[in-house]
Amino acid sequence: MSEQPKKNLFQNLKEIIYGMAAHDMSRYAVRTRASMEHLFILITMGDLLGIPILPPYYSLRLLPYVVPQIATWKRRMLREKDVSDAMF
Amino acid sequence: MSLKETFLNNPDRRYIMFGGKGGLGKTTFSAATAYWLAAQGKKVLVFSVDPQASLSDIFQQDIFGKGPVQIANNLWAEEIDADSHIKAYQNEIRKKILDMYGFDKVPDEIEQYIQAASAEPAMEESAIFDAVVDIVVKGDYDYYIYDLVPLGHALYYLSMAKVYDEWINRITKLREEMREYEQMVAQLKQQKQTEEDQILTELNFIKGRINASSRILTDRAKTAFYFVVVPEEMIILDTQKAAKLFAAYDVPIAGYVVNRVVPRELLGQSIPSYLKHRIEMQDKYLGQIRADLGDQVRAYVPELESDVTGLPMIEKLAGIMYGG
Repeated sequence: MSEQPKKNLFQNLKEIIYGMAAHDMSRYAVRTRASMEHLFILITMGDLLGIPILPPYYSLRLLPYVVPQIATWKRRMLREKDVSDAMF
Repeated sequence: MSLKETFLNNPDRRYIMFGGKGGLGKTTFSAATAYWLAAQGKKVLVFSVDPQASLSDIFQQDIFGKGPVQIANNLWAEEIDADSHIKAYQNEIRKKILDMYGFDKVPDEIEQYIQAASAEPAMEESAIFDAVVDIVVKGDYDYYIYDLVPLGHALYYLSMAKVYDEWINRITKLREEMREYEQMVAQLKQQKQTEEDQILTELNFIKGRINASSRILTDRAKTAFYFVVVPEEMIILDTQKAAKLFAAYDVPIAGYVVNRVVPRELLGQSIPSYLKHRIEMQDKYLGQIRADLGDQVRAYVPELESDVTGLPMIEKLAGIMYGG
């Protein structure tokens, strides 16, 4: 029983250190990852916005995997802002 | 080296292609070659990558979209039906979406995209390209004879393999970079390993298929590409241009076959001056062909007195081309 609070303290300490040191980094990484996801969809599914980019035959193979992201991706791509604004 | 010798001396060449401008006899030569090889005891598939294929006409049998159809002993022929290939493929994609997300129907926006993508002109070529990969990677036959589309399209077909390849390499790289970020986040948050990226798996699958096809098209040991020419000025010029482009794509050119040569013996007979002039004109261009291509010419095939359709005529032509 006496071990328990110690572990919590350690856990808390760990989280505080994570928050101070790594949280920003991981948030940045998540955002970059999301931007790249959108870039990826643009390259493969450009036709959805009327930008034919490359072979439609094989991009159809990828379509099922990006179905959930299509709506947010379109919103983001069609915003009145430069795409690259969102990346940094 | 005669046409026959190019086959006998290179038994590893299993992928045989006849290319040239439209209407010069590509399909006819493909059929005759397939017939001859089959008669030598090889298992042969002759197939058409042309949306306006004419193998059905030459074999006088409707084979369109029926898969490999046996024509004679050891000889199969196939005409790819791009449309039904595309439809089947679309349905496969739809089914995957429904299965993955448990939808009752494909969302409108996605459905529209599936239909719009399939209406693009490149789609048909890509579908045929993909179907060819299916045919050749199975490796059920000793010889595969490609009845190619006319030159311009054939070049497009070849360049497509390269474009696809580069496209796929780039997006695979992007996908891999994305994966690195994902793993970095997982590490920072001290989570377990991320799950497998299915898109990356899919990309690698596509890459494998494209590479399989372009490897065959440019494999010196296994592939032979023959140009079909006739002794006429424009055709010689166009073929020379095309040969350069093909060489730039690393297509192994195995030689030229000259078709529609009007028999010179006719000059000894009383023939109309019209025919005489044609023979003289051909003489001039045959001289040019000999000078330019010389030992690269594998066979001179005469203009025949009737259409080459049906097996007896194909057999006769095979006899002329390969000396029985």
